[in-house]
Amino acid sequence: MSAPQGRPPRPPAGPPTWPVGLGLAATVGGSIGFAVAYIRDAGNAWLGGCLALALLGLGLALAFWGRDLAGDEVISGPYPVPPDDASGQTALANQLEDHASALTRRGFLFKALIGAVVVFALSQVVLLGSLGPWPGRSLFSTGWKKGRRLVTVEGEPVTREALATGGFLVAFPEGGEDDANSQVVLLHFVNGDFTPQPGRESWSPEDFVAYSRICTHAGCPVAQYEDVAQVLVCPCHQSTFDVLHGAAPVSGPAGRPLPQLPLAIDADGYLIAQSDFTVSVGPGFWDAT
Amino acid sequence: MNSDHELKKGLGRQFGVGRSPIGRLARWLDTNLGGSGLLRAELRHIFPDNWAFFLGEIALFCFIILVATGVFLALFFSASQAPVIYQGSYQPLAGVEVSDAYNSVLQLSLDVRAGLLIRQVHHWAALVFVAAVFIHLLRMFLTAAYRRPRRINWLVGLLLLLLTAFNGLMGYSLPDDLLSGIGLRISYALTESIPLLGPTMASLLFGGEFPTSGIIARIYPVHIFLLPAAIAGLLGLHLGLLWLQRHTQFPGQGRSDRTMVGSPMVPAYALRSGGYFLLCAGVLTGFGAFLQINPVWLYGPYRPWDATTAAQPDWYMGWLEGAVRMFPGWDIQIGGLLIPAVFWPAVVLPGLIFTPLFVVPWADWLATRDDAFHNVLALPGQHPARTALAAGFVTFLSVLLVAGGNDVFAVAWGVSQPLLLRVLQVLVIVLPPLVALLTFVLVRGRARRWASSVR
Repeated sequence: MSAPQGRPPRPPAGPPTWPVGLGLAATVGGSIGFAVAYIRDAGNAWLGGCLALALLGLGLALAFWGRDLAGDEVISGPYPVPPDDASGQTALANQLEDHASALTRRGFLFKALIGAVVVFALSQVVLLGSLGPWPGRSLFSTGWKKGRRLVTVEGEPVTREALATGGFLVAFPEGGEDDANSQVVLLHFVNGDFTPQPGRESWSPEDFVAYSRICTHAGCPVAQYEDVAQVLVCPCHQSTFDVLHGAAPVSGPAGRPLPQLPLAIDADGYLIAQSDFTVSVGPGFWDAT
Repeated sequence: MNSDHELKKGLGRQFGVGRSPIGRLARWLDTNLGGSGLLRAELRHIFPDNWAFFLGEIALFCFIILVATGVFLALFFSASQAPVIYQGSYQPLAGVEVSDAYNSVLQLSLDVRAGLLIRQVHHWAALVFVAAVFIHLLRMFLTAAYRRPRRINWLVGLLLLLLTAFNGLMGYSLPDDLLSGIGLRISYALTESIPLLGPTMASLLFGGEFPTSGIIARIYPVHIFLLPAAIAGLLGLHLGLLWLQRHTQFPGQGRSDRTMVGSPMVPAYALRSGGYFLLCAGVLTGFGAFLQINPVWLYGPYRPWDATTAAQPDWYMGWLEGAVRMFPGWDIQIGGLLIPAVFWPAVVLPGLIFTPLFVVPWADWLATRDDAFHNVLALPGQHPARTALAAGFVTFLSVLLVAGGNDVFAVAWGVSQPLLLRVLQVLVIVLPPLVALLTFVLVRGRARRWASSVR
């Protein structure tokens, strides 16, 4: 018989508490650091780093604590009883139908009520008209007119001397230097490189050619000019247009060529438009020309 | 004296019992609010445990963080496109005419103390939010959690995915920088492509022909009020249904469709969830501190004649961007009417993707003839068809996502962009069925081996 003498055995050690303590220490340190970083204007990394430390510390402390508790206690219980029981469902349906019959038994009046509510709801659709102007014909025209000069984004008129062969620039109609939908890319081809499309022989005086700069795919400015391949590339979706052949799409998702602006050169050597574009510019829509 | 006695009794009722402040508070609440019985039962609300169950919680945490950081940002943001001269501390833009909105974002990022941190945490939280919702839904699908009685809640979850992604798009459109302006330009074009209604819809939504001067002011209330309110409402419904129906559980000892096993809400589960919320906030704050996101001052203000290469939307719009880039330029002319090619990837494809997702619970029922009540989840490793469908779907989205950055990947991988485009156009059709088939065969083999080993 050897009952242990002295102290009773120690209870089994619980889960370690040091992660919780460490987390709480990090919270205090991070919080103080955050306030100091803010006051000293120490920059985003210090400010955010300290705040992150404080949050992570407290989070770790709670998560560890919660994990240890969860190990202690696993319970089970019933799910809500599934309403599989058909008689219960029938009873509920009957009860609701009883309540509803106060309305539905007056058949005509009930239908009139529904009708009135629908008419009311539909009438509110007119408010959509306040949202904006109807598109009208605005998608079919731009700022270009017969005789209007080409100017740079700074408003500088473009002369035949302004652009050497092989060069290109972005041009707007004079007076519309911020007119997004009128922007064109003006190219000056080396003599003999460019062959006009049939019917457009008079649109490219002295091998100056202007194309709409709005992509016919999704409307981004066709901003990249690759002069070796002689293509314009849209930086958004990489639609590629062959500038030597009427800016027809050769790669990427665009389906239609960039519209060409009929150009002329006036007596003073300024580049001018012969007219507006002959088709609608930009992305397609159902009645686009 | 009698009234004095009554008063003492009342005070006793309010504060008398309970040894600790918490006990006294509970007593006070019950006296003034009632419902102690209900609350006592709900404190023992059982939560089954699994790491996968925290995906939805991460989404909830992100929403809370988004609201908190968003309120801070709203104090400084100006939803106006009126021109102002930039006079802040970012020297490369000194003296440049920019919009008021862009100016205010630069101010709050660079000249309001802690502003950059809050803005970057907001942006990161949005990216993680949509990711968490998506992966959470994927988990739901893989484990068939959408079966009876959770069919309606699957729909609520899908709506939440749509709303969160759309609100993200609205959010990154607000700063009026070059990238966001280009994004809006594309959105206008995609709206325009809808047959018959497109131009009118685009004009009404944007307030005229693009570029319009009031679009930021329109997006702002949608981003900070309308959609967050809708998300909060649906989240309430989502969690309310979860609470009433209880959480699903993975199969295990003592677990059945009628009996659940897990830890009680108080104290263990609540403590741990609180901890996870703080961890989530901490990680996002760490991102905001050390990982730059959307540096709009580098992009510059939006001007309709400027563009930039390597322009990508946030990741959750990347699949749509990829589809728009990849779909060939098949403009269709029918009797003088045009159906622009972008209509198919931008409007029809999202419909084709989301409509099947909305009918998943009923399609599953038709396919399996299983209309029973389920509280125990299915295991992806034992259901080859479902797992294969998910794998194919994720593959499809992944190819689209890669295509959304095909210009960047072409440079990184040293291949020509048109060639990469062609390869991706083939892969998007070939790869998803291939991956689905492979998954099906692998999972079925594994499931059979498992079944025979159990026997």
